[in-house]
Amino acid sequence: MKKYICINCGYIYDPEAGDPMGEIPPGTAFEDLPDSWVCPLCYTTKDNFDPID
Amino acid sequence: MKASIASLYESVELIQPIKPLIIGERCNANGSKRFREALLEDDYDTCLTIAREQEAVGAHVIDVCTAYAGRDEMKDMETLIPTYSSSLKVPLMIDSTTPAVIERSLQLYPGRCIVNSINLEDGGVNIYKVLKLVKKYGAAVVALTIDEKGMAMTAPEKISVAKRIYKIAVDELGLRPQDILFDPLTFTIGAGDENLRDAAIQTMDAIKGIKEELPGVLTMLGLSNISFGLSPASRKILNAVFLHEALEHGLDSCIIDAAKMMPLASISEEDREYCYDLLYDRVKDPEKSPLLRFIEHFSTAVESKNDGEDEKWKPIEAQLYDKVVTGNRDDLEDILDMLLQRRSPIGIINDILVPGMRHVGELFGKGEILLPFVLQSAETMKASVRYLEPLMEKSDESDRLKILLATVQGDVHDIGKNLVDIILSNNGYKVYNIGIKVPAETIIQKAKEYDVDIVGLSGLLVKSAMVMSESMSQYEEAGLKVPIFLGGAALTRKFVAESCVPGYTPPVVYNQDAFDALKKVRDFEVGELKATTWEAPSDAKVVKPGVKDASIIRTNPVPEAPFLGDRIITDIDLEEVLALINKQALFRGRWGYRRGKMTGEEYQDLIRTRVEPLYEDFRRQFLKEGLIDAKAAYGYFACESRENHLVMSHNGKEYDYDFPRQAEAPFLCLSDYYKSAEEGGDVAGLFVVTIGEEVSKRTAELYAADEYHDYLMLHAFSVEVTDALAEYWHRRMRQELGISVNEPENIHGYVTQQYQGSRYGFGYPSCPDISAHGLVFDMLKPERIGITLTENYEMVPEQSTSALVAHHPQAKYFAV
Ligand code: B12
Ligand SMILES: [Zn+2]
Repeated sequence: MKKYICINCGYIYDPEAGDPMGEIPPGTAFEDLPDSWVCPLCYTTKDNFDPID
Repeated sequence: MKASIASLYESVELIQPIKPLIIGERCNANGSKRFREALLEDDYDTCLTIAREQEAVGAHVIDVCTAYAGRDEMKDMETLIPTYSSSLKVPLMIDSTTPAVIERSLQLYPGRCIVNSINLEDGGVNIYKVLKLVKKYGAAVVALTIDEKGMAMTAPEKISVAKRIYKIAVDELGLRPQDILFDPLTFTIGAGDENLRDAAIQTMDAIKGIKEELPGVLTMLGLSNISFGLSPASRKILNAVFLHEALEHGLDSCIIDAAKMMPLASISEEDREYCYDLLYDRVKDPEKSPLLRFIEHFSTAVESKNDGEDEKWKPIEAQLYDKVVTGNRDDLEDILDMLLQRRSPIGIINDILVPGMRHVGELFGKGEILLPFVLQSAETMKASVRYLEPLMEKSDESDRLKILLATVQGDVHDIGKNLVDIILSNNGYKVYNIGIKVPAETIIQKAKEYDVDIVGLSGLLVKSAMVMSESMSQYEEAGLKVPIFLGGAALTRKFVAESCVPGYTPPVVYNQDAFDALKKVRDFEVGELKATTWEAPSDAKVVKPGVKDASIIRTNPVPEAPFLGDRIITDIDLEEVLALINKQALFRGRWGYRRGKMTGEEYQDLIRTRVEPLYEDFRRQFLKEGLIDAKAAYGYFACESRENHLVMSHNGKEYDYDFPRQAEAPFLCLSDYYKSAEEGGDVAGLFVVTIGEEVSKRTAELYAADEYHDYLMLHAFSVEVTDALAEYWHRRMRQELGISVNEPENIHGYVTQQYQGSRYGFGYPSCPDISAHGLVFDMLKPERIGITLTENYEMVPEQSTSALVAHHPQAKYFAV
C-alpha cells in the first residue's frame, strides 16, 4: 500500500499506521479513506494528497 | 539616364551589374529585436553597429525604421540619420509611412536616398504628400501593391495597383519610372495556408508583368517572407532558390538580412528540386502537398545539425498555438508579424491564442500539466496580446465580457485575485482589477462605471468571508444586476450557499480556484450559470481530526520562563530560518509541482532538474539580497485557565482569551492545556513574527511586469519563509523554556509536531476567532516591528504570523 503526502503541509499518510486523529484504523489504504477524510494537521481534503514511493 | 542613389561618399546603381541590389533589413525596430532593444535604451551606438555589420556583409543600402509604439519616431530619425550619413559608406532607405517624418529625414540626409514606402491603402491621399516630397528632394521611392481593398494577392491585382501608382507618380507628378521600386509583396508558402499555395507564383508573375507593362520601373521584394514558418536552415535554402527565380522574372532588388544570404551554387540539385516544387506548387505525390514533402525532406537534414529547431517546421498558426501551450516566448513577435499579414489582431487572439489557453486549462484540469507551466503559457499569451493590442480596433474591445475583481475591505491579500485576473484576462476576457482593501461602495461604483458583466470578490481570512456576506444586501440595494463570484482560502461552498446567496438576487457563485472561475464564466456566457447550492452529505459522519485523548494530565511541571513580559527581537539568523523551510509544502502545495500523472521517477527527475535548482536560486537570493527582514515580538505571561478561558496577566492587567470547546468527545478546549489558579497557575507564550514588506514589494513588481511564473514562485517562497520563521521562533521559545530535550530530527518531524507542546495560530481551527489578535497586539505591541492590524484583524505586512505557545506535553493540534 502506498503512502501519500499532503501537499499543503507535508503530513504523510501511512496506511500501516492509519490515522488515529481521524479515527482511521491501521491497515486502511489511502484509496479506501472516506471522501470526508481530511489531513489531520491542516484539514485539507483528500484531493490535495500526492502518492509517494 | 541611369538610376542611382548616393551617400556622402559613394553613388550606388539601383540596377546592379550583378543583381540584386541588396537592402539591409536589420535596422528596423519592428523586424529586429536587437535594433529595437538598442533603440528602446537610446543606445544609438548599437544602432550604428547593426548598420555597419550589414554594410560589412554586403548590403548596398541600409533600410532604417524607427516607428515603434512608445518611441518618438521623429526624434529617433533626427538622431540616427546624421549619425548614419556621416558614418556609413552606403546610402539609406528611409522606412516610414508618416509624411512629416519622411520630410524631416529627407531634409537631414545629405545624399540621395530611397523612401520606403507608398501605397494606395487610403485610396490615394498620403501618396500625393509623400510623392511630392520625393520629387522635391529628388529621392527614389518604394511602392507597395496595396490599395483600398488591402494587399493585392494575385498577379493581375498586383499589376493593376502598380499601374495606378505609376499613373500618379509618373503621369501626374512627373517622377521618372526608374525612381520607383515596385514591391509586389510576398506571402509565405511555408505555413500551410491553402489560399497561399501559389503565393510565390503570383509574386513572380507580378514582377514579370510590372517590368513588361511599366517599362523602366524597378522591382523589389521583402524576400524572406516567402519562407516564414519553416525552420531557419530550410528557410535559407528556400530563400536563396526563390531569389534566383525572382531574379529570372525580372527582380532588381531585395530587402533581406544580408548576413543570411546563401549562394545558389552551394545548394544541391536535389534540395533545389524540392524548393521548385514548393515555389511552383507542383504536386508530385497525390497524398502529400509540396509543402509536406519539403518539410519531410528537410527535417531529417536539419534535426541532426540543428537541435531543437524542428518546431519551426510547422505551419505558423500551429506554431503560435504551440508557443502558448508550451509557454515559450522566443521569436514571438516575428510569428505575430507574419500572422498579421493575413489575420486581424483580434482574429489571432480569438482563433489561435484563446484556444491555446483553453487547451492549457484542459491539460491542467486533467492533471497533465502543472500550475507553473500554466503561468508560463499565460505569459506568452500576455506578451502576444500586448503586441497586438495597439493594432486593435476600438470595437474589438467592446464585445468582450467584462469582469471586475477586488479584494474586500480590511484585506490586503492580493495574489488570489491576481491569479484569477491572470487566468481570465489571458483567456480573452476584459478584467478590471481594482486592488485590495476595496470598500463595497467603491466596488459598486466601479462596477457601474465599467459596466461589467460579473463582479468577483476575494479575501484571505474568514473575516473577509463575513465582509462578503454582510455586503450582499448593499449590492442588492445598489441595484447591481450582475452575478457575483466569490473566492478565497477561508471561503466554503456551504458558507456561500447559506450566508451569501440569499442576500442577493442574481447568482452568487463560489469558486474553488481560478480555473473554476474560468469554467463559471463560460457557464455564464452560455446562460447556464447558477447560484451555488449546498447540501450536507447525508452519509458522512463528522470526524473532528485531532488528539483524541480526553484525560489531560494535571501534574506536568510548569517550566520556568526566562522572563515575564514582552520583548522584540530584530537580529535573527536567516540561514537557520531557511533551514526550516518545508520543501514538500513549498514544491507541491505553493509552487504547484505536484506529482500529477508522473511516475515516481519522472517526478524525482522534475524535482532534481527544475525544482531544486529553483529553490537554491531563491535561497541564495534571499540570503544575499536582504529580501527578508525577520523580526519577532514575543513574550511569556503568567496565566490561569478558567473553564473555556485562558487569562494572562501583563503589566498588572488581565487579558482574557475565550476559546471554544468541542461539542463531542473528547470535548477539548485550548485552555485545558493550562493549569487553573487552584492548580497553581501556569505560563503561556505568545509571538508575532514577520519577514517584512520588502518581498511583497518585489512580488508586486513581478506581477506588474506580467512575469506571472516568477510572481507565483517568489510569493510562494516568501510564504514558506514566513512559516519557517514561525517554526524557528517556536523552537527558540522551547529552548528558552527548557523543554527542548526531544527535538525533531527533520522537517517532517516539525510538521508532525515531534516536540514538546504546540503552537496555535489564531484563526486556526482550535482557536478560530481571529479578533483575539486585538488582545495579542495590546500585549506584544508588534507595531514596534512594523506590524499593524486591519479592521478585520489581519496583520500587515501579509507575511506575518502569530501564535499562542503551549508547553503541555499533550498539547497538539485539534479542531473544534
Ligand atoms: C499561505 C498562507 C498564509 C501565508 C500568508 C498569506 C499569503 N498568501 O501571503 C502566511 C503563512 C503568512 C499566513 C498567515 C496567516 N494565516 Co494563512 N494561509 C495560507 C494558506 C496556506 C494559503 C493561502 C494562499 O495564499 N493561497 C494561494 C492563493 C493563490 O490562493 P487563494 O488566495 O486561496 O486564491 C485562489 C482561490 O481561493 C480562488 N480565489 C481567490 N480569490 C478569488 C476571487 C474570485 C473572484 C474568484 C473567482 C476566485 C478566487 O482562486 C485563487 C487562485 O486559484 C491558507 C490555507 C489554504 N490552503 O488555502 C491559510 C489560511 C488562509 N490562513 C489562515 C490563517 C488563520 C492565518 C493566520 C491568521 C494565522 C496566524 N494566526 O498567524 C495568519 C494571518 C496572516 C495575516 N497577514 O494576517 C486560515 C484562515 C482562516 C481564518 N480564520 O481566517 C487559512 C484558511 C488556513 C486554515 N485552513 O485555517 N497564511
Ligand atoms: Zn496537511
